Amino acid sequence: MRPDPRTLLLIAVVLLAGCATQPVQPWERGRLARWDMRWDPDPLQAAMTQHTYFSKEGTAGEIGAAGGGCGCN
Amino acid sequence: MSAAKRPSPSLTLLLAASAALGGQKSVRADETGSTQSVGYRFNVYDEDSFSGQPVIGSPERYHVDSQQLALNTGIGDRNTLTVDATHEVMSGSSPWYVVPGPDNKPIQVLSGATIRDHRSAVQAALTHDAGANDTTSVNASYSAERDYHAAAVGAEHATPLDPALTLAYGGSFSHDLIRPTDAELYDRIERAQKNTLSAFGGLTWVLNRSAVVESGVQINYQNGYLSDPYKLVTVGDDQLPDTRPDRRTEGAWLVRYRYAVTADAALHADTRVAMNSWGQHSLALEFSWYQRLGGDWQLVPGLRYYAQDSARFYAPFFAENADAYFSSDYRLGAFGAIAANLNVRKRFGHWELTAGAERYHSATSYALGSSGVPDPAVVSYTRIYAGLDFHFD
Repeated sequence: MRPDPRTLLLIAVVLLAGCATQPVQPWERGRLARWDMRWDPDPLQAAMTQHTYFSKEGTAGEIGAAGGGCGCN
Repeated sequence: MSAAKRPSPSLTLLLAASAALGGQKSVRADETGSTQSVGYRFNVYDEDSFSGQPVIGSPERYHVDSQQLALNTGIGDRNTLTVDATHEVMSGSSPWYVVPGPDNKPIQVLSGATIRDHRSAVQAALTHDAGANDTTSVNASYSAERDYHAAAVGAEHATPLDPALTLAYGGSFSHDLIRPTDAELYDRIERAQKNTLSAFGGLTWVLNRSAVVESGVQINYQNGYLSDPYKLVTVGDDQLPDTRPDRRTEGAWLVRYRYAVTADAALHADTRVAMNSWGQHSLALEFSWYQRLGGDWQLVPGLRYYAQDSARFYAPFFAENADAYFSSDYRLGAFGAIAANLNVRKRFGHWELTAGAERYHSATSYALGSSGVPDPAVVSYTRIYAGLDFHFD
């Protein structure tokens, strides 16, 4: 199974619907400050997840990562 | 362990930088979440066995029980200290090499003895906020296994370019020491080292009152012993040591997007395109939906797609010794994976419970480009976890 370019384009269009830029004042940032808008709301879980991907996949550069060491076979 | 696979500490920095990017910091100035907390997680990782496939050796694959403990606290008005400790206990059989069966169908040979090992790691990061969303972080980490030690240091800086745009950049260095077990018995290298130098840069852009996007580039350069001392390769009628180049350069472009869809829901979309000097390319797409429910419950379903092609010197087995490098490690082959996960959280005052599960299914048919001969070692797994956080404020 390979990614269908039309599906990727559709996803991009949907996502970009939220990308209309507007100047945001400090008092308008309530939504952006929410816990669920953090890059990684649960850093501990994100670290473990990324460490697992690192151990089992061939290319580095994952979005976020665990610390050093391996623990992989 | 696998000597060629070690998370780059600079990626940790990228994560830290992401959290510290001024754009995010500025939007977090009125954040209601706690900044001082203690957290604990217990993870159980279990790989599918080789059921139904012809193998030589134990069909039971890797199982890892992990515990994590983290402390996040302020020091003075402008500094934040984060300390994470991890302990893992690993057991099971590991893919050793592949032999051609009837019709050249690959047969996996697994490690003769069941592996039992444990890993302990600690990481600390100190972040200084100079004001006006200008932050500087330094971090250090150390990880120890019986046969693998890794030490790393890094630093990064984030500075706002304008009220909506923040620049972050940084770098790190790690030094790893490899001392394979049973080196004399199996004619493995007795001691080896490798170094990783990383650099990254990224921009965070507050798009509007409900959306923020981050785009970054990561470059890693590794040199030293990058082969896997525990793996062999079938070349003709012989089994030779896994032999890889002693240098690798990797590059990745990352984009992350957060969209507050409603007052109670947020969409997370992450993408990554990566390539390295061994000829591999990869694509990762990840989507999560954060849904707040009544009674302080939170539900987070997510999906991830990952695909890669193979390294130039990879094959399940080789008919002849035609190249200086050869590896049969499935992680260097072409495959892809689809993962689904679900996380449930519940807050009780200062306490917060979390639990979840992930199912990761991989196959050579999901790969980027031609997968060639399917590698029997491509792994699928199930992971479950639970944890508890205490927020001090």
